[in-house]
Amino acid sequence: MSEEHVQEQWKKQLVKCIRCGTCRSVCPVFKEENSENTTARGKVQLLEGVVEGNVKLTPILQERFNKCLLCKACVKGCPSGVRTDLLFLSARQANARKNSLPLVKRVAFKGLTFRKLFDTGLRFGSVMQNVFMKKSADGRGNQARFNIPGSGLDLRRIIPPLADKPLRDRIPEKITGENAKGKAVFFTGCMLNYIYPEAGEAVVNILRKNGWDVTVPSDQACCGTPAFTSGDQDTGRKLAADNVRVLSGDYDLVITACASCGAALKNEYGEIIQDEDTRRKWEKISAKVMDISEFVEKFGDPGLFGPLPLKITYHDACHLVRGMDVSKQPRQVFAAVPKLDFRDMKDADVCCGAGGTFSMVYYDLSRRINDHKLDNAADTGADYLVTGCSACRMHITDGLSQRGSNMKVMHTAELIDMAYKSGENQKKGGK
Amino acid sequence: MDQQIVRKLTAIVGEKHALTEFEDRYCYSFDSTFINAMPDLVLQPGSRDEIAAVCRVAYEHDIPVVTRGAATGLSGGAVPVKGGIVLEMTRLNHIIEINTVNRYAIVEPGIVTQNYLAAVDQAGLFYPPDPASSKMATLGGNISECAGGPHGVKYGITRNYVLGLEVVLADGSIVQTGNLVDGDMSGPDWTMLFCGSEGTLGVITKIMLKLTQKPQAKQTMMAIFDRIEDAATTVSTMMASGVIPTTLEIMDNSTIRAVENFLNIGLPVEAGAILLIEVDGDPKAVEKHVQHVMKVCQDCKALTVKAAKTTKEADALWKARRSVSPACGKINPTKISEDATVPRSRIPEMVAAVREIAEKYKLKMVIFGHAGDGNLHPNILSNKHDKEEMARVSKAVEELFQAALKLGGTLSGEHGIGYLKAPFLVWELGEEGFQFGKDVKQAVDPKCLLNPGKMFDYRAS
Ligand SMILES: Cc1cc2nc3c(=O)[nH]c(=O)nc-3n(C[C@H](O)[C@H](O)[C@H](O)COP(=O)(O)OP(=O)(O)OC[C@H]3O[C@@H](n4cnc5c(N)ncnc54)[C@H](O)[C@@H]3O)c2cc1C
Ligand code: SF4
Ligand code: SF4
Repeated sequence: MSEEHVQEQWKKQLVKCIRCGTCRSVCPVFKEENSENTTARGKVQLLEGVVEGNVKLTPILQERFNKCLLCKACVKGCPSGVRTDLLFLSARQANARKNSLPLVKRVAFKGLTFRKLFDTGLRFGSVMQNVFMKKSADGRGNQARFNIPGSGLDLRRIIPPLADKPLRDRIPEKITGENAKGKAVFFTGCMLNYIYPEAGEAVVNILRKNGWDVTVPSDQACCGTPAFTSGDQDTGRKLAADNVRVLSGDYDLVITACASCGAALKNEYGEIIQDEDTRRKWEKISAKVMDISEFVEKFGDPGLFGPLPLKITYHDACHLVRGMDVSKQPRQVFAAVPKLDFRDMKDADVCCGAGGTFSMVYYDLSRRINDHKLDNAADTGADYLVTGCSACRMHITDGLSQRGSNMKVMHTAELIDMAYKSGENQKKGGK
Repeated sequence: MDQQIVRKLTAIVGEKHALTEFEDRYCYSFDSTFINAMPDLVLQPGSRDEIAAVCRVAYEHDIPVVTRGAATGLSGGAVPVKGGIVLEMTRLNHIIEINTVNRYAIVEPGIVTQNYLAAVDQAGLFYPPDPASSKMATLGGNISECAGGPHGVKYGITRNYVLGLEVVLADGSIVQTGNLVDGDMSGPDWTMLFCGSEGTLGVITKIMLKLTQKPQAKQTMMAIFDRIEDAATTVSTMMASGVIPTTLEIMDNSTIRAVENFLNIGLPVEAGAILLIEVDGDPKAVEKHVQHVMKVCQDCKALTVKAAKTTKEADALWKARRSVSPACGKINPTKISEDATVPRSRIPEMVAAVREIAEKYKLKMVIFGHAGDGNLHPNILSNKHDKEEMARVSKAVEELFQAALKLGGTLSGEHGIGYLKAPFLVWELGEEGFQFGKDVKQAVDPKCLLNPGKMFDYRAS
């Protein structure tokens, strides 16, 4: 796409902005920073300036567009329907073409496209991590032992360790049964595969419990979100094409359990795929993409749930609630689990501050945004915070550790799996 | 701007709160209108004393100072048309006190109106002025523009609630006007001098506001008319009949269609106009007023009058009203929002005049607004990239002002004069009145550094 063509695309959105400033009232970054250069309005007008030739694609401009969570709150809040999400993604790409990305990111994204190499790297990483990382005091995760150059890992930050054995090594590639109700292909995404394999196993259990055949293709690649949201469109496009090929089988549903992977497969690929053939194939896949909570709400048998006497609250991941329109479904599932004490928190759908690479570059800011989430969660008195996104989980867990809270975090799929297990135990326990 | 001065100013507010990069300053070159002008420096002061210090430096070096709230103004007030410093007030956003016994509040000017309204509500009291922009605008901006809102018919607008202000003047001196005693009259009402002064006379750094009691009950109604003229007559008849609704909002056919397209909530798209009416008070009085309002509407040829049966129904109607701006934005991107206002009794004539002007200049124009205040909000929907159309727009705007003034009205019911209406102010005030305004400005801000190029500082070029 030529730069002129890109700007023509921008203009269609830019012309809709009436500068009303409504986006000020919803932007989590603006609420902390109080500065117009963080608002959607500010960024939209900067792009207007670019189109008019008054503003240049400078490194400073690039930085201003990076200081955004891509949380889509401004898209939802905009009364004029300006698709700021599309604009900001496209702007990051234009900036990356002009100013290129930092070397670490370039190398890292390139690595993503060599699936095997990436895979080996992370396996090796699971062995090597103790060299660079040490266990945090509360045992919840790891902390960097020293500043790893370019890693963006703040010394205070507590991140989960890499799993000893990735998810896709723990389960067979194909699990079939008799009289299957349908065929699901599970797109695990990187975080479930390498960091939270237990949550991934829960997803497989849920599908099997409901009588679905499951395929977990071993050659699936990273969904590409980290690359294309940073502006590396080429890598994003290559990964999208790989995944479209892998997922194009004879499946009824494409199941995801990661907000960003789901939103990418369902919607965002539409913005990066250019090749017509790939696009046609992708459109078929897009219609089948379903988050695991939506699956349980639509196809799950609530009769299988056993009692779960837990106090939980729920955090809506941005890319689930605004990227895939999933927010009622998990709540309906919670309501169907006997004895489960679900307490909705204030501002449950406000971003937790993770925002992909945002939390690496602006760690302090992302902590401040996260603090509101943790306060609201604490106010509910819940013992567990449930969420459908591993990136949110990681950022929230870090926050809880930082403040010494006892609240525990789990994936929606893990909670559902627990409810099924409780149902099984009840049955075994006799009448 | 001289680098040495920039350093001096930066030292006052701190590195983090002085924005010098082009990209950042660009974000402060506009408000909710369609004009742009670049500031030389953006400062985000954290206290009154920092503001006073900034003003002293600016005064010494003859640098313009443009105070900015949320930049949602609709007359170009926060746009630095002569460059200089933009002083962003949003870090001064604290509530200092809400006093339920004496019913007043003391707040800082940068607080978002909605946050203040919520705190007042929590304290069990009521602050009526609620501009449609309350989610983003600041109280300082509300006072500087003398903002109005749907409650204005019964409760009045911002100026009716300001007890006193603390103001930093151009040379950095600090004055306090008014006090917490409602009814203070030691000397002229200086507070009113600054209320609606749009940042041209001083920087408001503290605000004392009057609070009132929450109404016990309210009821929302919708009256549907075949012809907008009948709706207009209803408004003037209603106001003359003695019962003052809390709210009396009008929407013409194009507005109804735009909103219905946007929200799909079953508005009557065939209607010539609708009136949204709310009455409040103690439950018995509300019931009586509802009967009365319904009768007036029927007498004035309303097709139907419906009372909302549930709060949900009522909320849907108010949502429709609040959605007017965005809904219109979807038709045509550049929305020139005028708020020329006439005495209530002349609303029918003003409606006719607006329709004539729209036709004459072949422009898409919608009418909605606080009809109960005579504030009609004729909005022109155009496209700023269409030069030829914009030329017709500016002629139409002039004629709108003339029409309002001819009917004994005013250029601005609530959006202020700022930059966009400054050329026409002399029409309303006359040469002598305009000169008097200039003299006052000269006396308070002799170097003309505060928000230059606006209101009385406008010079025809
Ligand atoms: C969608 C939308 C709906 C609106 N609805 C309404 C409505 O219903 N009623 C209404 O009246 N207006 C309405 N407005 C207009 C606007 O919101 C109001 O004028 C509001 O009061 C402006 O507040 P602000 O904080 O954005 O001020 P700004 O736009 O930042 O500033 C406005 C003026 O006030 C001055 N100023 C700001 N703060 C201070 C201070 N502390 N000291 C001195 N001067 C200061 C500025 O210099 C400028 O001249 C609407 C605007 C939009 C975009
Ligand atoms: S809310 Fe939408 S239209 Fe309003 S300023 Fe923000 S982006 Fe522009
Ligand atoms: S995407 Fe989120 S962080 Fe970015 S501008 Fe919009 S609301 Fe703010």
